Amino acid sequence: MTWEVRTFAPEVLAPDVERIEDLARAESALAGVDVAVVEPGDPVRVTHVLDAVEPRIRPDGRRAFPTEDQAGQGVTHRIFDVAVLSCLDFPGEERPLHEQESIVDLAGPAADLTPFGSMRNVVLSFRPGDGSDHRTLDSAVRRVTLSTAEILAEPTLSAEPVHTHTFELGPVDDSLPSVAALVQLSDLGQLYQLYLYGTPVGESGLPKLVDPAEVMDGAVTAGEYHWAAMRNPTIFFQLNSLVRTLYREHGKRLRFSGVVLIRGYEQSADDKQRAADSAAQLAVGLGVDGVVITTDAGGNSHTDTMLTCRACENAGVRTSVIVCEETDLEATAPILTDWVPEADCIVSTGNVEQLGPAWKPERVLGGDHLLDGRPAAEAGPIPVRNYLGATNQMGQLDLGATSW
Amino acid sequence: MVRAIHYLNQFFAGLGGEEAAGTEPTRVDGPVGPGKGLAAALEGIEIVATIACGDDYFGEQEGAALGRLFALIEGDRPDLLVAGPAFGSGRYGYACARVVAEAGKRGIPGLAAMHEENPGVAAAAGRVLIVPTAVNVAGMRDALPRIASLASAVASGRELGPPAEEGYLPRGLRRNRHHGATGAERAVDLLLAKLAGETRSEVGGAFDRVEPPARVGDLSHALMALVTEAGCVPQGNPDRLPSVRAQAWLRYSLAGEKRLEAGEYESVHGGFDVARANEDPNRLVPLDTVKGLVDQGRIGRLHEFFYTTTGNGTPVASSTKFGREIARELRDAGVEAVLLSGT
Repeated sequence: MTWEVRTFAPEVLAPDVERIEDLARAESALAGVDVAVVEPGDPVRVTHVLDAVEPRIRPDGRRAFPTEDQAGQGVTHRIFDVAVLSCLDFPGEERPLHEQESIVDLAGPAADLTPFGSMRNVVLSFRPGDGSDHRTLDSAVRRVTLSTAEILAEPTLSAEPVHTHTFELGPVDDSLPSVAALVQLSDLGQLYQLYLYGTPVGESGLPKLVDPAEVMDGAVTAGEYHWAAMRNPTIFFQLNSLVRTLYREHGKRLRFSGVVLIRGYEQSADDKQRAADSAAQLAVGLGVDGVVITTDAGGNSHTDTMLTCRACENAGVRTSVIVCEETDLEATAPILTDWVPEADCIVSTGNVEQLGPAWKPERVLGGDHLLDGRPAAEAGPIPVRNYLGATNQMGQLDLGATSW
Repeated sequence: MVRAIHYLNQFFAGLGGEEAAGTEPTRVDGPVGPGKGLAAALEGIEIVATIACGDDYFGEQEGAALGRLFALIEGDRPDLLVAGPAFGSGRYGYACARVVAEAGKRGIPGLAAMHEENPGVAAAAGRVLIVPTAVNVAGMRDALPRIASLASAVASGRELGPPAEEGYLPRGLRRNRHHGATGAERAVDLLLAKLAGETRSEVGGAFDRVEPPARVGDLSHALMALVTEAGCVPQGNPDRLPSVRAQAWLRYSLAGEKRLEAGEYESVHGGFDVARANEDPNRLVPLDTVKGLVDQGRIGRLHEFFYTTTGNGTPVASSTKFGREIARELRDAGVEAVLLSGT
């Protein structure tokens, strides 16, 4: 399978605000959307960020975020260094699941905690319609956001790419170690779930072997709004560092044997063990020597990671695992949510408890007050936990905790 | 001028060698011995007094030694305490670590200096800044300017940078830095290294593992309590238990209750979908089942209160504190068994 990605410069971006507003108007759950474009270095803080998406479109007319046909083949256009940020403060006290504050700073000391601080961002601040429930609102926001990402990429259809890259996995030296990625996707119900081809991953028959290019070509989209730093926003699948690294090393230091999407947030001990065992069995079936196991979100998904690690090691498949730390600022040893002795090769994507220095933006988008009630412009120090994707546990970014 | 106190053992204070290891705490004005070299390296910091104690005296009567040492400097209004360098000397290094830790408790910032394998490093338990030195006194000339440099940083009150930059041994605090390579790239590198026979980890060390306790001897005569982190509270959350990062635990009476009725109790936990738990709060705090077992004689009695908090994003330090406090109350009430429901 080959997948060709044509990359276009951010300068082709020409947001048609009215069309985006029309998309929101067509959703009965929404009262509307405010659209703003912000640049790196702008003294701007964006709050209540739900997801981030890179503008993408397929010249053959197939959807960029397909729900039926196969992703990861043919041609896809992308605009680099641009993200659509969707923002919404879910109204009222109705809380089957609680979203957590999620911030992007375009300048100031925390601008480098998220990649969006160095990107051009099209910020969609959604206004909920009267009486809309959270699930209906969420569905509407995700639809409009993904459609906006496609609309924004339309100018690429008549522009020249700055770069074209083809992803394919050719035959390579058999003596290289065979490696797969086990990418954990969580599902705890709407607002706490990811989607595979538009279907909640809990209903997608995980674990599942997919073509690595599918992951980067819009097959996986986000709708998980718990701790911001531990989220996997859609753009982190589109630009997935793990998949890209494995492609790059294919034939050099390893044989890239595939991506297995595995389930996070099973809710009973038996189901968790079963999910871990079936993920390990799939890895064994692939004949791999080792796997990188990633984590989605916080809490008991870390148990899923550790159980999967143990199941793989017990089945003779070596592992490295990616998790963030939740180490109290005064603690003198790392604190992980869960751990098994088999996890002897761990990448730390950072300590979510660390506080960023206070910073006063000149402008706030998304919502003037943080979910805890503090004014967003004068919130004082904000923990890393609240920055979108800052300690992403697919290893998308370069943060890590070290001993001081 | 920053007013500093320097701590030395009997030997470096010029009071004698091993035969003087029982020397009681003492104080002299100004710098003494290595303190003179240190004073020359310090900028804007004056060593107003030197305190010293025999290594054996300190080791055998630590409490008395610390009390007397700090009593001796009460009139000195110190801004900073520097201890050592102790190099590889174990008893001296231990005393340096303890003296600096005690200074910290009394609001006096400080630092010690010793070899990284000195037992004093372990005694510091990550609570003391330690400048690494050579293993023996030949490293004095090299150590003093580095001690002076960290002393200036500490005295300034600014937030310290990473250990390698500031010149102290890592204490084990976990702070973030940008590696340059993504986590994914590092994970692939670590996996390939592991497959090649070299297993490394970015997170290691002793994790806090709670061992399961011994089983209860005879449950049919035991007093049992119900404890939960499921955020179960009376309907309306009258005491405003937070849905995440709780700062406290709560206690509610179960007197006369046979089960937790829907509509009278709810969960405010923000980490899971509480809809079904709220349809039957007994699934959070299994009062109905336990009452049944009490009626059957399989459980002795049920404690009249249940204990609750929200275990969602709660710092481990807070959870540990809650656990200790709740356990103390339960023990004082004669509770012998706890059913702890987690989510």
